[in-house]
Amino acid sequence: MLEERGLPTTVLALVLPQVEKTKPPRALMLPFMLGRPLGEPNDAPFQRRVLLQALRLLERTDRPVLLEHFPDDNPSWFDRPDWTPAVSLSPPAPLHEAAAWRSAFQAELALVLPVWERFKARFGRTSVGLAGQPPEDWPAFATSFLDGALPTVPSHDTPALALRFLADDLKALYGEAVQADGPPPSARQIDWWFWRKTVAGQMLIALREAALKSENNALKTVGGRFFVPVPFLPN
Amino acid sequence: MARLEDIPEPTRTAVASIPCPSFDTTPFVSGPPLSQRRVAIVSSAALIHRGDKPFPFGSGEYRAVPGDWSNDEILISHVSINFDRAGFQRDVNVVYPIDRLREFAAEGVIGGVTSTHYTIMGSTDPAAMVESADGIAAGLLAEGCNAVVLAPV
Repeated sequence: MLEERGLPTTVLALVLPQVEKTKPPRALMLPFMLGRPLGEPNDAPFQRRVLLQALRLLERTDRPVLLEHFPDDNPSWFDRPDWTPAVSLSPPAPLHEAAAWRSAFQAELALVLPVWERFKARFGRTSVGLAGQPPEDWPAFATSFLDGALPTVPSHDTPALALRFLADDLKALYGEAVQADGPPPSARQIDWWFWRKTVAGQMLIALREAALKSENNALKTVGGRFFVPVPFLPN
Repeated sequence: MARLEDIPEPTRTAVASIPCPSFDTTPFVSGPPLSQRRVAIVSSAALIHRGDKPFPFGSGEYRAVPGDWSNDEILISHVSINFDRAGFQRDVNVVYPIDRLREFAAEGVIGGVTSTHYTIMGSTDPAAMVESADGIAAGLLAEGCNAVVLAPV
């Protein structure tokens, strides 16, 4: 659509069937996971190779459609067998009452927050910041939904959105904390740890169940689709 | 391509079979050598500045990403939970390669970097984005852009 408007474009492409259908003028097919078109975080030489190959397509004139394939996987695509999570937690036990979830999550978060501070100091950044409230407020806010409450925060229009973006921040905070030290684990290792080894992950699964039973349609939709990725839904 | 086995069902099928527009024409705009290109990024990650409202569900809107935002202020507000965030958590450049473009500009590999970049939210009907394409193109052409890196997530 931009090319029609006079702008030369080059695509960092992740999904081949979409490229085959839309036929952009220039595309570099990449073997990386969805969500990381440049492949490898904090690896400038690798990112430069990706970006330069895509930019070089702009200089070719053998139109109309130029499709190249980038040859290499990004280094952290592979699981790292010797990886240990930067934060050590007790295995989550099954819980039923909102108050029990609240205290278990509060206790876990108290262990995770200092490690998250190490991540922020090491990488100089955080992607946490959508929830509209600080992490210390999350346990009471989130678990109140398990009791049927529908609270919100000023920065979001509805309880469903407030909880949805709290869930995003929660996953981000834990994902960052667990990467605080050492070489990067694969994305799969982080997901597996979060959804199988943390109270927070189990609480999100419980919140999804509660949302699906809610009479608040927005919460039902948001909870059903945007809290828990499909591979980690309970059987 | 992204390995299909990396993408869990039902997203895998949805991604592979998503209705895509087909275009009657294949426009192809040529230009000068890379060393004379002023390059912009268009990201599909629904990027926002910390404190801004996230993109609403299904929104076909576009927003500007000013070049003077610091990397730590840039967040993803995309609706989908089915793509990796761990890379972005460590490094904004894995989604939005602004530092790499600036390096190329400093080295003379490209002619320059636009002062504004743009973002939309993927997983949205392209038909809802025609006006966004108009707005993004007008903004980029006005500042002399002659190369766009499209960076979907």
